[in-house]
Parts: sequence; C-alpha cells; structure tokens
Amino acid sequence: MSSTAMKKKVLLMGKSGSGKTSMRSIIFANYIARDTRRLGATIDVEHSHVRFLGNLVLNLWDCGGQDTFMENYFTSQRDNIFRNVEVLIYVFDVESRELEKDMHYYQSCLEAILQNSPDAKVFCLVHKMDLVQEDQRDLIFKEREEDLRRLSRPLACTCFRTSIWDETLYKAWSSIVYQLIPNVQQLETNLRNFAQIIEADEVLLFERATFLVISHYQCKEQRDAHRFEKISNIIKQFKLSCSKLAASFQSMEVRNSNFAAFIDVFTSNTYVMVIMSDPSIPSAATLINIRNARKHFEKLERVDGPKHSLHMRMR
Amino acid sequence: MEEDWKPLLDPVRHGGFSHKGSTDSLDRVARRPFHVEPRNIVDEAPAERVTAEAAVLNSRVNYYGRLTGSSDRLLSPPDHVIPCPEEIYVYSPLGTAFKVPGGDGGSKNPSIITIFAIWNTMMGTSILSIPWGIKQSGFTLGIIILVSMGLLTLYCCLRVLRSPKSIPYIDTSDWEFPDVCNYYLGKLGQWSSLLFSMVSLIGAMVVYWVLMSNFLFNTGKFIYNYAYNVSMSDTDFGTNGSERVICPFPDTDDKGKNDSSLSALYRLSDSNSSYHGNDTALFDHWWSKTNTIPFYLIVLLLPLLNFRSASFFARFTFLGTISVVYLIFLVTLKAVRLGFHLEFHWFDSTDIFVPEFRLLCPQLTGVLTLAFFIHNCIITLMKSNKHQENNVRDLSVAYLLVGLTYLYVGVLMFAAFPSPPLSKDCIEPNFLDNFPSSDVLVFVARTCLLFQMTTVYPLLGYLVRVQIMSQIFGKHYPGFFHVLTLNIIIVAAGVCMAKFYPNIGSIIRYSGATCGLALVFVLPSLVHMISLKRRGELSWPSALFHSLLIVLGVANVAGQFFM
Repeated sequence: MSSTAMKKKVLLMGKSGSGKTSMRSIIFANYIARDTRRLGATIDVEHSHVRFLGNLVLNLWDCGGQDTFMENYFTSQRDNIFRNVEVLIYVFDVESRELEKDMHYYQSCLEAILQNSPDAKVFCLVHKMDLVQEDQRDLIFKEREEDLRRLSRPLACTCFRTSIWDETLYKAWSSIVYQLIPNVQQLETNLRNFAQIIEADEVLLFERATFLVISHYQCKEQRDAHRFEKISNIIKQFKLSCSKLAASFQSMEVRNSNFAAFIDVFTSNTYVMVIMSDPSIPSAATLINIRNARKHFEKLERVDGPKHSLHMRMR
Repeated sequence: MEEDWKPLLDPVRHGGFSHKGSTDSLDRVARRPFHVEPRNIVDEAPAERVTAEAAVLNSRVNYYGRLTGSSDRLLSPPDHVIPCPEEIYVYSPLGTAFKVPGGDGGSKNPSIITIFAIWNTMMGTSILSIPWGIKQSGFTLGIIILVSMGLLTLYCCLRVLRSPKSIPYIDTSDWEFPDVCNYYLGKLGQWSSLLFSMVSLIGAMVVYWVLMSNFLFNTGKFIYNYAYNVSMSDTDFGTNGSERVICPFPDTDDKGKNDSSLSALYRLSDSNSSYHGNDTALFDHWWSKTNTIPFYLIVLLLPLLNFRSASFFARFTFLGTISVVYLIFLVTLKAVRLGFHLEFHWFDSTDIFVPEFRLLCPQLTGVLTLAFFIHNCIITLMKSNKHQENNVRDLSVAYLLVGLTYLYVGVLMFAAFPSPPLSKDCIEPNFLDNFPSSDVLVFVARTCLLFQMTTVYPLLGYLVRVQIMSQIFGKHYPGFFHVLTLNIIIVAAGVCMAKFYPNIGSIIRYSGATCGLALVFVLPSLVHMISLKRRGELSWPSALFHSLLIVLGVANVAGQFFM
C-alpha cells in the first residue's frame, strides 16, 4: 500500500468464465493476450494499472468454482480484498446452470462488503444476454433483477442487462460511471452553458480511461443513436495504435466543409469532444474557448470535500 | 507487427454437398464469392442508409478485433449476432457502400466449367452404340436423325430448365423437375417423372452390368492369351492383316436383329474349346462372357452398392472423361489405319452395304434419346452457373459438343469399317466387340472403361436407392436389409440380362425411349402448355407443336416394339 492516499478500488467480480476479462478489455481498451484465458480460477487478483475516474484502481477477481484450498485462501484474504472498495460490479452469466451457487457467492461478497466497505456502491450485470432469445430477454432480466434486489438488502444494488454484442454494455458502464461522478448535475449545467456560448452543435464529456460518455449536450436531434459508442470505439482503437508506438493520445481535430470536431484533454479525469457545424468559425477560436473552459471545470472538480475519491491525488 | 487492417465480417458459411439426385463432379467450396452492386451512401437520401444496427456492429467488430490476437476467437462475433446478408454492407474508403447479397451456398462456376460438366454427365456408354445405331438407320438418315434428335432434345431440355421460372408467387430456387411436375400435374406428375427417371437409371445399370461382363471377359482373355502365349486363331470371321476387325456373328438375320438366340450356334467362337487343348477348354469353361463372369462381378460390386454414402465414388468422374477422350483417339487411329469404305446405295441393300435410308431408324432414335438424356438433373447442374442469363447459350453449346462427339465417333467407325470383306451389318451394338481380344489399344480402352464403370455403378445405385427409399420409406437409408434387398433386385436384373440377352443396343433403345417418353417429350411439353394456358398465352401454333412432340415421343416408343 502506498504511503500516500489509500487507493480506492473498483471490484469486478463474478464466476469464472462469466466474461469479466473480455468486458474489462473492451471497456478499458486492454489487449488480451492469448494465454490469459486460463484453465482454472484466478489465483490472485488481477490488478489493472488503469486509473479510473481519477484514483480508482480496477481489481478483477474470479468468484466461486474453487476447490477447498482456494476457498480457504479466499476467506483468509477476504478483508484485504474487500477493504477500501468504492464500487462493486458483480457479473452474472445469464446462461449459468447453477443459479443457487451464484447467488450464494454473491451474498458472501455482499456480506464482506457490508463488513469492510459499507459505503460501496453495488452494481449487478446480467451478462451474455445475446444468448437469450430476443422476445424473452426482458422477462428473464426482470426476474433476475427482482431476485437480486431482494438478496441485496439492506444494500441497494443497481442491475443492468448487458452483452458485448449490443449497445447494452456501453450504456450500462456509462450509467455506472455517471453515478460515480459526484457533482454530475452541476457538470451538465455548466456543459450546457459552455456549449451555448461557443455555439457548438454537440458537446460530449468522456471519462479519460474508458471514453465512456459521462454527460453530453446537443442542440438539435441527431440521427445516429449509437454515435457515442462508435466514437468511443474509434478513439480506443486509435489509442491502441498509439500505444504500440509508446505514444499517448492527447487531442484530435477533424474538419471538412460541413463540420469541425475537436477532441481534447479537458480535466484530469475527462476528455471533451466539441462539434461545430459552422465552418466559418476558425479552429483557433474554438481551441481557445476549450482551454478557458478547462480552467473553469477543473475548479468545479476541486470544489467538493476532501473525502471524495476524485480529489484523492490533490492531498 | 500485426497488420492494422482487419477484414470486416467473415462471410464464410458452411454449406454442405447435398445429393439432390445428381452426381455433381465439381466440388462445392464453402466460401461464397462476393457479387456487389454499388450503392452510394454519401447522398442524403435516407433510403440508401445502412441500418444502424449493422453499422454499429461493424464498429464493434472492428474494435474488438484489435483487442485480441488475429487467431484468437475470443471476441469473434458469434453467428446469431451477425445481421442477415441483406443488411451487410462493405464500406469503401471512397464513401460508397456495397451490399452483399444473400445467395445459396456453393460457388458459382464460369460458363466453360458448366458446359464441361454437362458434357461429362451426358457422355455415357451410349457412345459405344452410336455406330450400330447409324448402321441400323442408314448412313445418311442416321446423320440426319442424330442432328434432329439433338435439336429436339435440346429444345425439351430448355423447356425443363425454364419450367421452374414461370411459377409465380413461390420460391422455386431449390426445385427439381419432379417438384415442377407435382405443381402442375399433381401427384401423378411427380410419380410418373420419378418412375421414368428410375427406368433410365436402372436401364443404365443393367447396361453397365452387361458391358462390365464383356470388358472383364475380354481383359481376362487378353491377359491369359498373353501369359500363355496362345495365338488367336482365325476362328472369328474377320479381316486379315495387322488391323484386324472381326464379325462375331456373321450370317445373321436379314432384319439386322442381332438376336442372341440366332447366334447360339456361334457360341463356339466364344469358347474356342475344340481348337485348343484341354487347358484352354478349362479356362474357357470358367471364364465365359455370359455364363460365369456376370456372377463373378456380384462378388465385386454388390458390397460396393451397400455403401452408405457414394461421395467416395464421385471423385472418380475424371475417369469417364479420360475414357471418352481415349475412345475418340482410338476411333481416329483406327479410321486412319483402316481407311474409308463408303458406298452409297440409297434404298436397296446389298450383301455388304446397307441402304442409306432404312426402316429400322427408330432403333437409332431410341438410342439417341438416352444418349442426349440429362433432363432429370439439368436444373441442378445449371444452378451453379455464374451468369444465369447465359444458361440457354451454355446448354446449346454443351449439346452441340455432345452431338459433335457422337457424330464423330459414329461416322468414323461406320465409314472405317472394312466393308469389302465384312458386311456393314456386322457392326456390333458395342463397337469394341468388333475388335479381337488381342488388340492392345482396344484392350486399354476396355480396361479404362471397366475401371470407370466400376466407379460409376455404385453412384447410379446410390441415386436409385435414394430416390426409391425416400419415396417409400421417407429416408435415404431405412435399414441395411431394405437396401440390401433393393441392391439384390438390381443386381439380379443385371445378371439375367448379361446371361440371356446381352444386347446393349436393345437395352439402351428400349429404356431410352421409355424414359424419354415421359421426361423428354411428354412432361416438359405438357407442363409448358399448362403454364401458358394458365397465363392465357397458349396460342394455336404452340399447342400444335407441343402436341406433335408428345406424339413423337409415343411414336418413338412404339417404333422400338414394332421395328
């Protein structure tokens, strides 16, 4: 443990084979090497060295399906694992045949959370929903959600149904991130003001590590409902290419006769994307506006109290 | 360093090789080719837009592909998330999007391959009987009949090919001709087309048995004579000299019917027993064309017939092509060495020559009906043609090539037959029989054909089994004993024919005319007339012409029995 602030964790847990590694790889744009597909359960926690929302560190754990030796290790390390948890994301495989067992492991995780980090937020993802027939998805998800809500008491859990093959995964994680941003309503109001001042068509605020859309403002109806996910995928692909050259992505400008789009670093945890449909406004003007707004939004982040995780680094 | 460009969606579909009643010698590769019609998405027209789901799935697949190694299937899209082919677009960097049309599985072949496949399928053992057929109908009349039959059967084949297209409102893309007959004529049409198709198949199998006995006999005889240095004495009536041509059954009936009952006296020439010592007598007793060899073949072929799947034998169709090409070469060589012997006597017959116009012409039309027969599987064969609009042209070219091959072999063999010593009447229904067992080139031909027939026989047996078993029991392989019984019946028919009536010319003409009656003349014309009538487009000349075709078909069959 570092001598400075205790890093808060995001726990990504679930049964072995429920899709956590794929999910992590897709959301955080991590390359999965072939041999990470292990034959057995994770012996140790998988730390990802990604700073998520400032100071959060992602920890990936396999839960359940272990033999007694593993069970003992798990229980002896339990307090270590569940201390300082900011977020618990628990992944359920919708096709799992051992519902009772899954619920049992989930409950023991919840007990540990209650003991060690009672303020943690709990999210449940019912994953691999593409394997269920389309007309049955809502029904099955509602059933699971009821069961999980019931089991989680007194903790409140938020449930999502997800699949890596449709927009539900991106939307679920965007909602999770949205709930983790402390003063998100204030951010949105400020974002709207900013957009109106610079006469932008649309302004998006992305989380830095995952390019999940935290908040957005649009002044008119847009045609493509999936544009957030597409932008996120494109930028993450570009980040992957940059990382091969040991470079890091900082900013991008795309311009043609119909529009100009700017993607740039904004605050310490966010990126901003500004779309201007008036080509007569020079790039320099927009870039200056973004730079000035940056200072304002940084101040916003700093406003809240010291116990906030986003603020950890400043201590 | 991994390449940055990844293919979009993997269009590989796993199509199977389906036995739809035709022996397709061409491999069906699982991968579909792209046939794209360009559509521009840069314009604002909303109808041209790619669907949102397909577009975002494309974005996901592109991204996920970067997250794993190129051979890792962890983040590959499973089949159920890929949109249907109508929604798949291939993006060009220049802003246009190409649509991938859904097509049936299997690759499309260029015209030349299709033409070759049709030629290969049509070239059967009837090529051996064409010289005899020309002899039966007279040289000039024979050529005229060959050309006319070719054109007639081509027209009927085009009718068969076009028949599924004129059915409205139903998707007929996987229909064969019996399905079309079922649509227009009900169960009667379907059953009759299947039954007559069976006639052609079983007729072919019987002919094969007779021919295989013949070739096995001659091959064995050649090897025996070569090994024991027995010289072939001139017990067979034939020419002298290096290029020996024989007349196995001289002094036959005037009407030209090579009835084996009349030639029973000449069975001696088969056995040669009185001219060679006891050893040869023993060999000839145990190695007889009609008495023992048909039974030896049972041991070889009956097990092959009982195989569950015939795809192994489908690999050997190249043997058929080689055999035909070799036969053409052989005929050319013989013609060059023997020279031409033609004399034109128009209506009267002489001792040696036959008239140019004979009353026995129905025999040739019967043989040619089977020679030009492909109507039961033409729809399936043409389905894999890349440019469907060229089907008529390709089929006509195939028929032209087949007709030319038959014409070439028939005319050359007839003309080269050495007539001064031998009568043209001696031309056998299997023209290889006119050469002695000791002829090396012909021995090679016989061996090639023997091998080829051994591989085609189980294929034909499989087709018969599939059709009969599906109709009666509903599945292709209802049980070992059902299949064994069917095979025993077919083999018994072959053995009986080989023993008592090994005249392939007659077998071919009877079975050809019978199955041609239904599948070449009657059913295609009927179906065409009914379809025109339903659309109200049936005109008097058309109805007359097609009724005439039906009458011709009936006359063809009648002619076999009366001539």
